[in-house]
Amino acid sequence: MNSGGDQVHIIVVRPAGSDTPDPVAILERLGPEARIDAVADAERCLSHCAAGGVDLVVVDERLGPDCDRLLEMLQPDGPPVVLLQRDAQEGRALRAFRKGAAECVAAGAAFAEVLPVVALEQIQRRRALRERGAAERRIRDLERDNRNIIQNLNSALLVVDSSGKIVFCNPLAEIILGESERDLRGRSLWDWFPGIPPEEIHVARALANGERSKGGESQVTRADGSVVPIGISCAPVSNGQGEEPGAVAVFSDLTEIKQLQRQVLQTEKMASIGQLAAGVAHEINNPMGFIHANLYQMGEYLSDLRGAWDSVEALQKAVARGEVQDIQDAAAQLAAASDEADIAFVLSDLGKAIRESQEGSERIRHIVHDLRDFSHRDSEEQVLADINQCLDSTANIVWPMMKHLVLLEKEYHDLPEIYCFPMQLKQVFMNLMVNAYQSIDECCGDTGKMGRVWLRTELRGKGVAIVVTDTGVGIAPENLSRIFDPFFTTKKVGAGTGLGLSTCFNIVERHGGSLRVESTPGAETSFTVLLPNRPPGTERRVG
Amino acid sequence: MLDDDAVERPTLLLVDDEERILSALRRTLRREGYEILLAESATAALRILSERPVDVILSDHKMPGISGVQLLARAAELQPKSVRMLITGWTEEIPPERMEEVGICALVTKPWNDAALKATLRKAIGAAREVS
Repeated sequence: MNSGGDQVHIIVVRPAGSDTPDPVAILERLGPEARIDAVADAERCLSHCAAGGVDLVVVDERLGPDCDRLLEMLQPDGPPVVLLQRDAQEGRALRAFRKGAAECVAAGAAFAEVLPVVALEQIQRRRALRERGAAERRIRDLERDNRNIIQNLNSALLVVDSSGKIVFCNPLAEIILGESERDLRGRSLWDWFPGIPPEEIHVARALANGERSKGGESQVTRADGSVVPIGISCAPVSNGQGEEPGAVAVFSDLTEIKQLQRQVLQTEKMASIGQLAAGVAHEINNPMGFIHANLYQMGEYLSDLRGAWDSVEALQKAVARGEVQDIQDAAAQLAAASDEADIAFVLSDLGKAIRESQEGSERIRHIVHDLRDFSHRDSEEQVLADINQCLDSTANIVWPMMKHLVLLEKEYHDLPEIYCFPMQLKQVFMNLMVNAYQSIDECCGDTGKMGRVWLRTELRGKGVAIVVTDTGVGIAPENLSRIFDPFFTTKKVGAGTGLGLSTCFNIVERHGGSLRVESTPGAETSFTVLLPNRPPGTERRVG
Repeated sequence: MLDDDAVERPTLLLVDDEERILSALRRTLRREGYEILLAESATAALRILSERPVDVILSDHKMPGISGVQLLARAAELQPKSVRMLITGWTEEIPPERMEEVGICALVTKPWNDAALKATLRKAIGAAREVS
């Protein structure tokens, strides 16, 4: 709208000293809502128009060539021009319209009636046009801003129709899905979720049930087979005109986050293994100690036996010669040598030493096997695993560290094998057991008292429960809500990373399970891991 | 003052919660002329110490309940003249001042060297006898 607000601004251009009827006088009848300026030539009119705010120009055709100039100069964006024709001839009016006049008014009998009406009509039309132009510009600006926002959004964004076909996507979506927008439009989004039933794809759920999802995890499989982990939020959308609804999804590439997660996991595991190393070294050192000593002693036994065997050979030779006296001497010699070396004991103890050493080497083999088993990395996919076995092999690793202080009780119930990441679960079990031990060490260490740790597994509903209970110091009520927070620790500086339980929590959550704690300080503390039993690939996988 | 019989045949008490270690130690020291007593826990060792004199105690450290150092501290009260030694793979855990306080004269590491172990025992017993 022009700067004059509701007042309209009309410029009348007419030769000086023109006669009646005077258009200025006629237009002034419009009252105070109209401001009328009369000028005598095209130049002054143009400078008024250039200053802005002119709603209408009324030009007297007696101005001559200036009329044409004005019509030309004010097109196409300037104010409308009404031409005053002194004598009406059809041909001239047509010519004026062709040159861009908005209206022609003949200076006849009805002139005084017609001119104000024509002027107002022109002004209204111009204002309506101007408003529409402004609205259109606003829409264009909004569209441009929206497009800029969406194109430069730091997340991928796409919209699908009711059948899951892609109708829109931004550049990041092109990158993650691995194809250009031109190729993506009209394609079914389900192509990127091969083998996943629709009820497990969140976008499909948004379409089917109008379900909204915030921050789910999933992965897309590109045409070339590469897999990208993504975090995704989606919601149903409708265009508000009762047309078939679709869904909008915002997602981002989690590859780097996943790598960081794996690094944190591995770092935390290494920190835990460091804590176990001394215990494991001890567990290997003990059998090494007695095998080492036994081998040395078996060497001694061998030379004792060799000494006796010399006497046996001497006796054989005497028997071959057949001299009775020789035979008797050799037999006496053999008896004396056997006695001297205590061959009867050597023979029985040699057998015992071999058996004990075999058993010791078997123990070393087991501990090394468990340890190697423990340092494996999980594959990308969940595998079927026996939770009792995972728990027990972890207990074998942790046991040496705690056995001087802890009575360990195991109560394993029959469980179905479940799909999981076994190494990650072992890490959880290890953390819980090491915490149990450290908690007992805090209250019983150096007192000569022993603590107790129970390991229990059982079926709960369709899932499995693993409960680790200890009789350590317990957890103060005010700390219970914080123990799963990253970097929260009550351990001495250097004794814990503060990531143990938070890592456990994340791992269990990744399995779709839960980790709970109950503690009565001074009595007992229980950590319960609940894991669902469900098919592979459904762990928090949403689309 | 030890009697003549004991001078002939010193009593050696071996303590370890690992039965196989006791068995191997006895095997190693079989011909060394000791009367060898075995205890599979600190509690069992304390029972023996309360019942009869012992010349040398060679104990493991990391054992369930009472540790080796704690056992030797009790042994120092029960039989101050005894020679007290630790055999352990956990050398780093015992501060030297604690060793001195309890009167631990030697620390043998596992796995042990047979000849060195025998020599250490002989030397310690010899020194103890000179004092008495």
